[in-house]
Amino acid sequence: MPKIDGTVRIDSYRIQIPKGFVSGMRTDGIVYVDEILEEELEVDSVRQVANVATLPGIVGNSLAMPDIHTGYGFPIGGVAAFNVDEGIISPGGVGYDINCGVRLLRSNLTRKDVESKLEDLANLLYTHIPSGVGSTGKIKLAPKDAEDVVRKGAIWAVEQGYGEADDLQRIESNGCLEGADPDVISQKAYERGKAQQGTLGSGNHFLEVQYVADVYEPEVATAMGLFKGQITVMIHSGSRGFGHQICDDYVRFMLQSSKKYRIELPDRELACAPFKSPEGQRYFSAMKGAANYAWANRQCLMHWTREVFLKLFKLSPRELGMKVVFDVAHNIAKEELHTVNNKKMRLIVHRKGATRAFPKNHPELPDCYQDIGQPVIIPGDMGRASFVLVGLEKAMQETFGSTCHGAGRVLSRNQAIKQAKGRSIKQEMAERGIIVRAAGKETLAEEMPDAYKDISNVVDVVHNAGIAKKVVKLKPLGVIKG
Amino acid sequence: MSYQVIDVLGDVGLRAEGRSCEECFINAGLGLYSLITDLNLIEQKETKEFELSAETLEDLLVSFLNELIFIFDTSGFIGNSIEVDIENNIIKVKIHGEVFDPKKHERRLLVKAATYHNLVVKQENNHWIAEIIFDI
Repeated sequence: MPKIDGTVRIDSYRIQIPKGFVSGMRTDGIVYVDEILEEELEVDSVRQVANVATLPGIVGNSLAMPDIHTGYGFPIGGVAAFNVDEGIISPGGVGYDINCGVRLLRSNLTRKDVESKLEDLANLLYTHIPSGVGSTGKIKLAPKDAEDVVRKGAIWAVEQGYGEADDLQRIESNGCLEGADPDVISQKAYERGKAQQGTLGSGNHFLEVQYVADVYEPEVATAMGLFKGQITVMIHSGSRGFGHQICDDYVRFMLQSSKKYRIELPDRELACAPFKSPEGQRYFSAMKGAANYAWANRQCLMHWTREVFLKLFKLSPRELGMKVVFDVAHNIAKEELHTVNNKKMRLIVHRKGATRAFPKNHPELPDCYQDIGQPVIIPGDMGRASFVLVGLEKAMQETFGSTCHGAGRVLSRNQAIKQAKGRSIKQEMAERGIIVRAAGKETLAEEMPDAYKDISNVVDVVHNAGIAKKVVKLKPLGVIKG
Repeated sequence: MSYQVIDVLGDVGLRAEGRSCEECFINAGLGLYSLITDLNLIEQKETKEFELSAETLEDLLVSFLNELIFIFDTSGFIGNSIEVDIENNIIKVKIHGEVFDPKKHERRLLVKAATYHNLVVKQENNHWIAEIIFDI
């Protein structure tokens, strides 16, 4: 029996939301869930997948990944592609934290090298990486700098001395989307972004020191420079107030555009405009600017992380060998070429809480990953595990080259705080060998492992469905929370 | 205190009430501030004023709360007392508070934006109710 009336199980890993689930659907919805995760599905998020299917120009199915939960307009975990000629672009299909994403760094260090210094490492990272409510960064962007960040993304950060040119090739889109126009971004967004470049943020954003606990695909792992016992660092952050303000500005702007172009909206947060319209292009250009800000942000955060490691372990950069494995966007819309019904089509692919997962030989991949496919980095919760996967050909056929982005919550923040009452999450984590540092008093309770779905279940769905393949499992040792 | 947190899976929501539309908006604003920090620790050292207009009361509430988020994000200013005057979908706002200091003030949630998701602003008899979900 399906958990939600009106949905149909297709196979062990997918359910269908047939046309008619909500009125006006132009195509079916597909949600990648097994029977375990189907139990946790919310009706609201399923309705959101169906609502997206009503938007003009949608190509293929309206999709959701196994970490699906209710968002605004689009669900988190939502993927939808629209024809560039007849389709729309929607800020709600990208999200408030534009290009929130993760970057994975590898090193030459092993678990043994780090364990005795873990406390010092966590403390140093916590003091060097600005995080939490009300924190500002070490960088103050003058108007000219802000425009450069918007146009150049991570390239700007490297030009300022934050990291190396070699880092850029292992960032999605090389850390810069071309065509960002500084003039379509409001002064309010610049105000919010001025002092937040190089800051981690808060909530589910983190910086985590980890080790490679399991290797499932030795050859692929080796090609990514990963081996068992190795120390890695994962950075999860986005475009901060800059991107939030751009989303806020453009949701309001798009409410007018939807009226102008007579697009019927089942939900105001689906506000959109035809992709090719001046309004659609204006948002796309502003969104690119926020995406570039986020890539610059992760580049700066990574640079200070490297500095902390070099200082603490008294190593040369060559000895430390801290290199980028990959950096992926979670909240983004991108113009891409896909084959649909044997026809090549230019599409505007929205990934909201979803990760690009291109297979080997894809022209958009850097040379170093042409033979294996794109690394897909999936963070879990701070207590259990995270995973690295690699994109597969089937993702191109079924999900516009996309897969899941994280665990997804099972407890609301309030429920988590209630469940954590009388417990010391910091102590519980220490007993598991994980050192945590958090700026907010309630952050640890809200972000405790039990508040999230088991990442292993989520990752198994995309692995078994054949859209991305598990390469290594990472376990946390030290976590910095905002 | 006429605001309470609504349980939302991914984010956080608020239900604010008031005997007038103004009181309801004030409570929504104070509710938002209480998500960010403990209001009892804020001292009223400064006053900030602004004015906004919108097509509907719902839009006005979203714009008002997003302005509070914007002011906090750019200057760190946060209040524990708000005065509002609403007429013809124009809101005039005065906030009494101070600049957030992480050493003195508790760090709670970093609120990104007020959304239109499941947004409610309504009058029931002589009672006003607002429900709003924030992206965090």
